[in-house]
Amino acid sequence: MANLKVYGHIISANTQRVLMILKEKNVPYELITVDFMHGEHKTPSYLEKHPFGQMPYIDDDGFILFESVAISKYIAAKYRSNGTQLLPDSSDLEAFALFEQACCIESNDFYPLAGGIVMENVVKPLHGTSPNEVVVAELTAKLAGKLEGYEAILRKHEYLAGDKVTIADLAHLAVGSTMTHSGVKLLLDTEKWPNVARWWKDITSRPTWREIWEERVVAAKLLAGS
Amino acid sequence: MTLKVYGLPQSSATQRVLVVLKEKNVPYELVPVDFFGGELKSLAFLAKSPFGLIPYIDDDGFILCESLAICKYIAAKYAGSGTPLLPDQSDVKAVALFEEACSVEESNFQPIATGIVVEKYFKAFRGLQPDDKVVEECISKLNEKLGGYEAILKKRRFLTGDNMTVADLAHLPTGTIIGDVGVKLLGDPDKRPNVARWWKEISSLPSWLTVVAEAKAA
Repeated sequence: MANLKVYGHIISANTQRVLMILKEKNVPYELITVDFMHGEHKTPSYLEKHPFGQMPYIDDDGFILFESVAISKYIAAKYRSNGTQLLPDSSDLEAFALFEQACCIESNDFYPLAGGIVMENVVKPLHGTSPNEVVVAELTAKLAGKLEGYEAILRKHEYLAGDKVTIADLAHLAVGSTMTHSGVKLLLDTEKWPNVARWWKDITSRPTWREIWEERVVAAKLLAGS
Repeated sequence: MTLKVYGLPQSSATQRVLVVLKEKNVPYELVPVDFFGGELKSLAFLAKSPFGLIPYIDDDGFILCESLAICKYIAAKYAGSGTPLLPDQSDVKAVALFEEACSVEESNFQPIATGIVVEKYFKAFRGLQPDDKVVEECISKLNEKLGGYEAILKKRRFLTGDNMTVADLAHLPTGTIIGDVGVKLLGDPDKRPNVARWWKEISSLPSWLTVVAEAKAA
Protein backbone atom coordinates (compact mmCIF):
# COMPACT_ATOMS: atom_id res chain seq x y z
CA MET A 1 0.00 0.00 0.00
CA ALA A 2 1.42 3.37 -1.02
CA ASN A 3 2.20 6.12 1.48
CA LEU A 4 -0.45 8.80 1.76
CA LYS A 5 0.39 11.54 -0.77
CA VAL A 6 -0.15 15.22 0.01
CA TYR A 7 -0.28 17.46 -3.06
CA GLY A 8 0.62 20.96 -1.93
CA HIS A 9 3.56 23.12 -0.94
CA ILE A 10 5.34 23.63 2.37
CA ILE A 11 4.82 27.40 2.02
CA SER A 12 1.02 26.93 1.83
CA ALA A 13 -0.65 27.40 5.24
CA ASN A 14 -3.32 24.83 4.44
CA THR A 15 -0.69 22.29 3.44
CA GLN A 16 1.15 22.97 6.72
CA ARG A 17 -2.08 22.26 8.63
CA VAL A 18 -2.35 18.81 7.10
CA LEU A 19 1.34 17.97 7.60
CA MET A 20 1.01 18.99 11.27
CA ILE A 21 -1.77 16.47 11.83
CA LEU A 22 0.11 13.72 9.95
CA LYS A 23 3.16 14.29 12.15
CA GLU A 24 1.09 14.35 15.35
CA LYS A 25 -0.50 11.03 14.35
CA ASN A 26 2.84 9.49 13.23
CA VAL A 27 1.38 8.77 9.78
CA PRO A 28 4.00 8.37 7.05
CA TYR A 29 3.39 10.58 4.04
CA GLU A 30 4.94 11.94 0.89
CA LEU A 31 4.66 15.65 0.08
CA ILE A 32 4.34 16.13 -3.68
CA THR A 33 5.24 19.76 -4.35
CA VAL A 34 2.81 21.62 -6.60
CA ASP A 35 4.37 24.34 -8.73
CA PHE A 36 1.76 26.93 -7.75
CA MET A 37 3.95 29.88 -8.72
CA HIS A 38 3.54 28.68 -12.33
CA GLY A 39 -0.15 27.84 -12.01
CA GLU A 40 0.07 24.05 -11.78
CA HIS A 41 -2.94 24.06 -9.45
CA LYS A 42 -5.13 25.55 -12.20
CA THR A 43 -4.24 23.02 -14.91
CA PRO A 44 -6.97 20.67 -16.19
CA SER A 45 -5.24 17.59 -14.75
CA TYR A 46 -5.07 19.21 -11.27
CA LEU A 47 -8.69 20.39 -11.51
CA GLU A 48 -9.70 16.78 -12.22
CA LYS A 49 -8.61 15.95 -8.67
CA HIS A 50 -9.39 19.28 -7.00
CA PRO A 51 -12.31 21.04 -8.72
CA PHE A 52 -11.53 24.35 -6.96
CA GLY A 53 -7.84 24.41 -7.93
CA GLN A 54 -6.51 24.87 -4.39
CA MET A 55 -3.83 23.28 -2.21
CA PRO A 56 -3.65 20.78 -0.65
CA TYR A 57 -5.45 17.61 -1.59
CA ILE A 58 -4.54 14.10 -0.53
CA ASP A 59 -4.47 10.79 -2.34
CA ASP A 60 -4.83 8.05 0.26
CA ASP A 61 -4.40 4.90 -1.78
CA GLY A 62 -6.83 6.22 -4.40
CA PHE A 63 -9.16 8.12 -2.02
CA ILE A 64 -8.98 11.80 -3.01
CA LEU A 65 -9.89 14.45 -0.43
CA PHE A 66 -9.48 18.22 -0.29
CA GLU A 67 -10.17 21.02 2.26
CA SER A 68 -7.43 20.99 4.90
CA VAL A 69 -9.70 20.74 7.95
CA ALA A 70 -11.67 17.88 6.39
CA ILE A 71 -8.38 16.14 5.61
CA SER A 72 -7.18 16.75 9.20
CA LYS A 73 -10.39 15.28 10.65
CA TYR A 74 -10.14 12.27 8.30
CA ILE A 75 -6.55 11.48 9.32
CA ALA A 76 -7.37 11.94 13.00
CA ALA A 77 -10.35 9.57 12.68
CA LYS A 78 -8.70 6.94 10.47
CA TYR A 79 -5.64 6.77 12.72
CA ARG A 80 -7.50 7.37 15.96
CA SER A 81 -5.29 5.06 17.99
CA ASN A 82 -1.98 6.49 16.64
CA GLY A 83 -0.03 9.33 18.20
CA THR A 84 -1.81 12.28 19.84
CA GLN A 85 -5.57 12.13 20.39
CA LEU A 86 -6.92 15.01 18.31
CA LEU A 87 -10.67 14.35 18.27
CA PRO A 88 -13.14 13.96 21.10
CA ASP A 89 -14.96 10.65 21.54
CA SER A 90 -17.52 10.56 18.69
CA SER A 91 -20.12 8.90 20.92
CA ASP A 92 -20.09 11.95 23.21
CA LEU A 93 -22.42 14.20 21.20
CA GLU A 94 -21.93 17.28 23.36
CA ALA A 95 -18.12 17.04 23.40
CA PHE A 96 -18.15 16.54 19.62
CA ALA A 97 -20.48 19.51 19.18
CA LEU A 98 -18.13 21.74 21.19
CA PHE A 99 -15.26 20.52 19.00
CA GLU A 100 -17.22 21.40 15.85
CA GLN A 101 -18.04 24.79 17.40
CA ALA A 102 -14.32 25.41 17.93
CA CYS A 103 -13.56 24.43 14.31
CA CYS A 104 -16.23 26.91 13.13
CA ILE A 105 -14.76 29.65 15.32
CA GLU A 106 -11.38 29.12 13.66
CA SER A 107 -12.81 29.16 10.15
CA ASN A 108 -15.27 32.05 10.63
CA ASP A 109 -13.68 34.29 13.27
CA PHE A 110 -9.95 33.75 12.80
CA TYR A 111 -8.98 32.48 9.35
CA PRO A 112 -10.59 35.20 7.19
CA LEU A 113 -9.03 37.99 9.28
CA ALA A 114 -5.60 36.49 9.98
CA GLY A 115 -5.54 35.09 6.44
CA GLY A 116 -6.33 38.54 5.07
CA ILE A 117 -3.41 40.01 7.02
CA VAL A 118 -1.11 37.28 5.66
CA MET A 119 -2.38 37.98 2.12
CA GLU A 120 -1.34 41.63 2.46
CA ASN A 121 1.90 41.22 4.39
CA VAL A 122 3.28 38.00 2.89
CA VAL A 123 1.51 36.75 -0.25
CA LYS A 124 1.29 40.06 -2.13
CA PRO A 125 5.01 40.83 -1.68
CA LEU A 126 5.81 37.32 -2.92
CA HIS A 127 4.06 38.27 -6.16
CA GLY A 128 5.63 41.72 -6.30
CA THR A 129 2.81 43.90 -4.86
CA SER A 130 2.98 46.04 -1.70
CA PRO A 131 0.73 45.42 1.30
CA ASN A 132 -2.27 47.75 1.74
CA GLU A 133 -1.61 49.15 5.21
CA VAL A 134 -5.19 50.41 5.62
CA VAL A 135 -6.54 46.91 5.04
CA VAL A 136 -3.98 45.43 7.47
CA ALA A 137 -5.00 47.95 10.15
CA GLU A 138 -8.72 47.21 9.66
CA LEU A 139 -8.25 43.45 9.80
CA THR A 140 -5.97 43.75 12.83
CA ALA A 141 -8.60 45.77 14.69
CA LYS A 142 -11.32 43.25 13.82
CA LEU A 143 -9.15 40.32 14.87
CA ALA A 144 -8.40 42.05 18.18
CA GLY A 145 -12.17 42.16 18.76
CA LYS A 146 -12.45 38.43 18.04
CA LEU A 147 -9.64 37.65 20.48
CA GLU A 148 -11.88 38.94 23.27
CA GLY A 149 -14.15 35.98 22.47
CA TYR A 150 -11.17 33.61 22.44
CA GLU A 151 -10.04 34.98 25.82
CA ALA A 152 -13.50 34.32 27.30
CA ILE A 153 -13.36 30.68 26.17
CA LEU A 154 -9.73 30.08 27.12
CA ARG A 155 -10.26 31.63 30.55
CA LYS A 156 -12.51 28.61 31.30
CA HIS A 157 -10.78 25.86 29.32
CA GLU A 158 -7.24 24.95 28.49
CA TYR A 159 -8.05 24.54 24.81
CA LEU A 160 -10.83 25.71 22.50
CA ALA A 161 -12.96 22.58 22.69
CA GLY A 162 -12.25 21.74 26.34
CA ASP A 163 -9.31 20.51 28.32
CA LYS A 164 -7.63 18.51 25.58
CA VAL A 165 -5.91 19.78 22.44
CA THR A 166 -7.80 19.07 19.23
CA ILE A 167 -7.57 19.84 15.52
CA ALA A 168 -9.49 23.05 16.25
CA ASP A 169 -6.49 24.44 18.15
CA LEU A 170 -3.81 23.18 15.77
CA ALA A 171 -5.72 24.58 12.76
CA HIS A 172 -4.68 28.08 13.90
CA LEU A 173 -0.94 27.43 13.80
CA ALA A 174 -0.06 27.97 10.15
CA VAL A 175 -1.87 31.25 9.45
CA GLY A 176 -1.36 32.49 13.03
CA SER A 177 2.39 31.90 12.93
CA THR A 178 2.79 33.49 9.51
CA MET A 179 0.79 36.51 10.66
CA THR A 180 2.93 36.86 13.81
CA HIS A 181 6.11 36.48 11.77
CA SER A 182 4.90 39.26 9.43
CA GLY A 183 4.73 41.68 12.37
CA VAL A 184 1.13 41.46 13.65
CA LYS A 185 1.78 40.10 17.12
CA LEU A 186 -1.73 40.07 18.65
CA LEU A 187 -1.41 36.45 19.73
CA LEU A 188 1.62 37.23 21.88
CA ASP A 189 -0.06 39.96 23.95
CA THR A 190 0.08 38.61 27.51
CA GLU A 191 -1.48 41.77 28.93
CA LYS A 192 -4.56 42.08 26.75
CA TRP A 193 -5.27 38.34 26.37
CA PRO A 194 -3.26 36.35 28.93
CA ASN A 195 -5.11 33.10 28.24
CA VAL A 196 -4.88 33.47 24.46
CA ALA A 197 -1.13 34.10 24.86
CA ARG A 198 -0.84 31.08 27.16
CA TRP A 199 -2.68 28.87 24.65
CA TRP A 200 -0.70 30.22 21.70
CA LYS A 201 2.63 29.57 23.46
CA ASP A 202 1.48 26.03 24.26
CA ILE A 203 0.51 25.02 20.74
CA THR A 204 3.40 26.76 18.98
CA SER A 205 5.87 24.92 21.23
CA ARG A 206 4.79 21.51 19.96
CA PRO A 207 7.85 19.81 18.40
CA THR A 208 5.82 18.77 15.33
CA TRP A 209 4.98 22.45 14.70
CA ARG A 210 8.58 23.55 15.16
CA GLU A 211 9.62 21.01 12.49
CA ILE A 212 7.09 22.29 9.97
CA TRP A 213 7.90 25.93 10.69
CA GLU A 214 11.63 25.29 10.11
CA GLU A 215 10.87 23.64 6.76
CA ARG A 216 8.62 26.56 5.87
CA VAL A 217 11.28 29.16 6.73
CA VAL A 218 13.77 27.43 4.42
CA ALA A 219 11.23 27.25 1.58
CA ALA A 220 10.26 30.93 2.04
CA LYS A 221 13.90 31.99 1.63
CA LEU A 222 14.18 29.91 -1.55
CA LEU A 223 10.97 31.36 -3.00
CA ALA A 224 11.95 34.93 -2.12
CA GLY A 225 15.31 34.41 -3.73
CA SER A 226 13.90 32.96 -6.98
CA MET B 1 -37.39 21.03 28.03
CA THR B 2 -37.93 22.24 24.45
CA LEU B 3 -34.78 23.21 22.58
CA LYS B 4 -34.46 27.00 22.46
CA VAL B 5 -32.90 28.83 19.50
CA TYR B 6 -31.76 32.36 20.29
CA GLY B 7 -31.73 34.28 17.03
CA LEU B 8 -33.99 35.92 14.47
CA PRO B 9 -36.19 34.39 11.76
CA GLN B 10 -34.59 36.70 9.12
CA SER B 11 -30.99 35.93 10.11
CA SER B 12 -29.37 33.59 7.58
CA ALA B 13 -27.32 31.79 10.22
CA THR B 14 -30.48 31.26 12.32
CA GLN B 15 -32.36 30.03 9.23
CA ARG B 16 -29.79 27.27 8.67
CA VAL B 17 -30.56 25.89 12.11
CA LEU B 18 -34.32 26.25 11.64
CA VAL B 19 -34.38 24.34 8.33
CA VAL B 20 -32.45 21.45 9.92
CA LEU B 21 -34.77 21.40 12.97
CA LYS B 22 -37.79 21.29 10.65
CA GLU B 23 -36.29 18.54 8.45
CA LYS B 24 -35.63 16.48 11.59
CA ASN B 25 -39.11 17.20 13.07
CA VAL B 26 -37.49 18.50 16.26
CA PRO B 27 -39.75 20.76 18.32
CA TYR B 28 -38.13 24.06 19.19
CA GLU B 29 -38.83 27.55 20.44
CA LEU B 30 -37.30 30.52 18.60
CA VAL B 31 -36.44 33.18 21.16
CA PRO B 32 -36.01 36.47 19.27
CA VAL B 33 -33.05 38.64 20.28
CA ASP B 34 -33.13 42.43 20.39
CA PHE B 35 -30.57 42.87 17.62
CA PHE B 36 -31.01 46.63 17.07
CA GLY B 37 -31.25 47.29 20.82
CA GLY B 38 -27.70 46.03 21.33
CA GLU B 39 -28.61 42.83 23.16
CA LEU B 40 -25.79 40.97 21.35
CA LYS B 41 -23.20 43.18 23.05
CA SER B 42 -24.64 42.73 26.54
CA LEU B 43 -22.64 40.82 29.15
CA ALA B 44 -25.50 38.37 29.60
CA PHE B 45 -25.49 37.52 25.90
CA LEU B 46 -21.70 37.34 25.66
CA ALA B 47 -21.70 34.89 28.56
CA LYS B 48 -23.61 32.48 26.30
CA SER B 49 -22.23 33.48 22.88
CA PRO B 50 -18.69 34.85 23.40
CA PHE B 51 -18.43 36.39 19.93
CA GLY B 52 -21.78 38.18 20.26
CA LEU B 53 -23.29 36.31 17.33
CA ILE B 54 -26.60 34.62 16.62
CA PRO B 55 -27.79 31.96 16.74
CA TYR B 56 -26.96 29.92 19.79
CA ILE B 57 -29.04 27.11 21.20
CA ASP B 58 -29.90 26.05 24.73
CA ASP B 59 -30.67 22.33 24.64
CA ASP B 60 -31.80 21.64 28.18
CA GLY B 61 -28.81 23.55 29.57
CA PHE B 62 -26.30 22.62 26.84
CA ILE B 63 -25.26 25.86 25.13
CA LEU B 64 -23.90 25.70 21.60
CA CYS B 65 -22.91 28.44 19.10
CA GLU B 66 -21.99 28.48 15.40
CA SER B 67 -24.82 27.53 13.05
CA LEU B 68 -22.96 24.74 11.25
CA ALA B 69 -21.90 23.11 14.53
CA ILE B 70 -25.51 23.40 15.77
CA CYS B 71 -26.85 21.83 12.53
CA LYS B 72 -24.42 18.89 12.82
CA TYR B 73 -25.31 18.41 16.52
CA ILE B 74 -29.07 18.34 15.83
CA ALA B 75 -28.58 16.00 12.87
CA ALA B 76 -26.52 13.63 15.06
CA LYS B 77 -28.66 13.79 18.21
CA TYR B 78 -31.87 13.20 16.25
CA ALA B 79 -30.32 10.88 13.65
CA GLY B 80 -33.35 8.58 13.82
CA SER B 81 -35.92 11.36 13.32
CA GLY B 82 -37.09 12.96 10.08
CA THR B 83 -34.70 13.24 7.10
CA PRO B 84 -31.25 11.70 7.60
CA LEU B 85 -28.84 14.58 7.15
CA LEU B 86 -25.47 12.98 7.98
CA PRO B 87 -23.53 10.14 6.39
CA ASP B 88 -23.06 6.83 8.21
CA GLN B 89 -20.79 7.88 11.08
CA SER B 90 -18.92 4.56 11.02
CA ASP B 91 -17.85 5.15 7.39
CA VAL B 92 -14.66 7.23 7.73
CA LYS B 93 -14.51 8.10 4.01
CA ALA B 94 -18.18 9.10 3.79
CA VAL B 95 -17.74 11.33 6.86
CA ALA B 96 -14.61 12.84 5.25
CA LEU B 97 -16.49 13.70 2.04
CA PHE B 98 -19.25 15.26 4.13
CA GLU B 99 -16.70 17.38 6.03
CA GLU B 100 -15.13 18.35 2.70
CA ALA B 101 -18.51 19.57 1.41
CA CYS B 102 -19.18 21.53 4.62
CA SER B 103 -15.77 23.14 4.33
CA VAL B 104 -16.34 23.98 0.65
CA GLU B 105 -19.49 25.85 1.67
CA GLU B 106 -17.65 27.68 4.47
CA SER B 107 -14.59 28.70 2.47
CA ASN B 108 -15.62 28.75 -1.21
CA PHE B 109 -19.26 29.85 -1.09
CA GLN B 110 -20.19 31.71 2.09
CA PRO B 111 -17.54 34.49 2.13
CA ILE B 112 -18.09 35.44 -1.52
CA ALA B 113 -21.88 35.17 -1.47
CA THR B 114 -21.91 37.20 1.77
CA GLY B 115 -19.94 39.93 -0.02
CA ILE B 116 -22.84 40.23 -2.48
CA VAL B 117 -25.38 40.21 0.40
CA VAL B 118 -23.54 42.99 2.26
CA GLU B 119 -23.46 45.24 -0.81
CA LYS B 120 -26.85 44.57 -2.35
CA TYR B 121 -28.98 43.68 0.68
CA PHE B 122 -27.61 45.09 3.94
CA LYS B 123 -26.47 48.39 2.44
CA ALA B 124 -29.85 48.89 0.75
CA PHE B 125 -31.47 48.16 4.12
CA ARG B 126 -29.48 51.04 5.62
CA GLY B 127 -30.11 53.37 2.68
CA LEU B 128 -26.51 53.16 1.40
CA GLN B 129 -25.30 52.67 -2.18
CA PRO B 130 -23.69 49.34 -3.07
CA ASP B 131 -20.10 49.39 -4.27
CA ASP B 132 -20.57 48.08 -7.82
CA LYS B 133 -16.91 47.18 -8.17
CA VAL B 134 -17.08 44.91 -5.11
CA VAL B 135 -20.30 43.32 -6.41
CA GLU B 136 -18.67 42.68 -9.78
CA GLU B 137 -15.61 41.07 -8.16
CA CYS B 138 -17.77 38.85 -5.96
CA ILE B 139 -19.91 37.75 -8.91
CA SER B 140 -16.80 36.95 -10.92
CA LYS B 141 -15.31 34.91 -8.04
CA LEU B 142 -18.62 33.13 -7.38
CA ASN B 143 -18.88 32.21 -11.07
CA GLU B 144 -15.46 30.62 -10.86
CA LYS B 145 -16.38 28.67 -7.72
CA LEU B 146 -19.65 27.47 -9.22
CA GLY B 147 -17.55 25.88 -11.95
CA GLY B 148 -16.17 23.63 -9.21
CA TYR B 149 -19.69 22.94 -7.92
CA GLU B 150 -20.82 22.00 -11.45
CA ALA B 151 -17.96 19.51 -11.76
CA ILE B 152 -18.96 17.86 -8.45
CA LEU B 153 -22.72 17.90 -9.10
CA LYS B 154 -22.27 16.47 -12.61
CA LYS B 155 -21.31 13.22 -10.84
CA ARG B 156 -23.56 13.44 -7.76
CA ARG B 157 -27.17 14.31 -6.97
CA PHE B 158 -26.09 16.16 -3.83
CA LEU B 159 -22.69 17.47 -2.75
CA THR B 160 -21.67 14.27 -1.00
CA GLY B 161 -23.48 11.72 -3.16
CA ASP B 162 -27.03 10.36 -3.41
CA ASN B 163 -28.22 11.68 -0.07
CA MET B 164 -28.91 15.23 1.00
CA THR B 165 -26.91 16.39 4.03
CA VAL B 166 -26.37 19.43 6.22
CA ALA B 167 -23.70 20.47 3.68
CA ASP B 168 -26.35 21.08 1.00
CA LEU B 169 -28.84 22.81 3.31
CA ALA B 170 -26.12 25.13 4.64
CA HIS B 171 -26.20 26.99 1.29
CA LEU B 172 -29.90 27.82 1.44
CA PRO B 173 -30.11 31.11 3.34
CA THR B 174 -27.32 33.07 1.66
CA GLY B 175 -28.00 31.41 -1.69
CA THR B 176 -31.62 32.53 -1.49
CA ILE B 177 -30.79 36.16 -0.65
CA ILE B 178 -28.37 36.53 -3.55
CA GLY B 179 -31.12 35.32 -5.88
CA ASP B 180 -33.55 37.78 -4.28
CA VAL B 181 -31.18 40.71 -4.99
CA GLY B 182 -30.86 39.72 -8.63
CA VAL B 183 -27.73 37.55 -8.73
CA LYS B 184 -29.26 34.47 -10.33
CA LEU B 185 -26.08 32.39 -10.67
CA LEU B 186 -27.40 29.37 -8.79
CA GLY B 187 -30.50 28.99 -10.90
CA ASP B 188 -28.93 29.29 -14.37
CA PRO B 189 -29.68 25.99 -16.19
CA ASP B 190 -27.90 27.02 -19.39
CA LYS B 191 -24.60 27.86 -17.80
CA ARG B 192 -24.53 25.21 -15.07
CA PRO B 193 -27.34 22.66 -15.46
CA ASN B 194 -26.34 20.48 -12.49
CA VAL B 195 -25.96 23.39 -10.05
CA ALA B 196 -29.39 24.61 -11.21
CA ARG B 197 -30.90 21.13 -10.75
CA TRP B 198 -29.42 20.81 -7.25
CA TRP B 199 -30.43 24.34 -6.27
CA LYS B 200 -34.00 23.82 -7.47
CA GLU B 201 -34.29 20.59 -5.44
CA ILE B 202 -33.03 22.01 -2.15
CA SER B 203 -34.69 25.41 -2.40
CA SER B 204 -38.07 23.75 -3.04
CA LEU B 205 -38.03 21.78 0.21
CA PRO B 206 -41.24 22.43 2.15
CA SER B 207 -39.15 22.96 5.29
CA TRP B 208 -37.14 25.71 3.57
CA LEU B 209 -40.24 27.36 2.10
CA THR B 210 -41.71 27.45 5.62
CA VAL B 211 -38.56 29.09 7.03
CA VAL B 212 -38.77 31.75 4.29
CA ALA B 213 -42.51 32.32 4.90
CA GLU B 214 -41.99 32.63 8.66
CA ALA B 215 -39.18 35.17 8.08
CA LYS B 216 -41.45 37.28 5.86
CA ALA B 217 -44.29 37.12 8.39
CA ALA B 218 -42.06 38.19 11.28
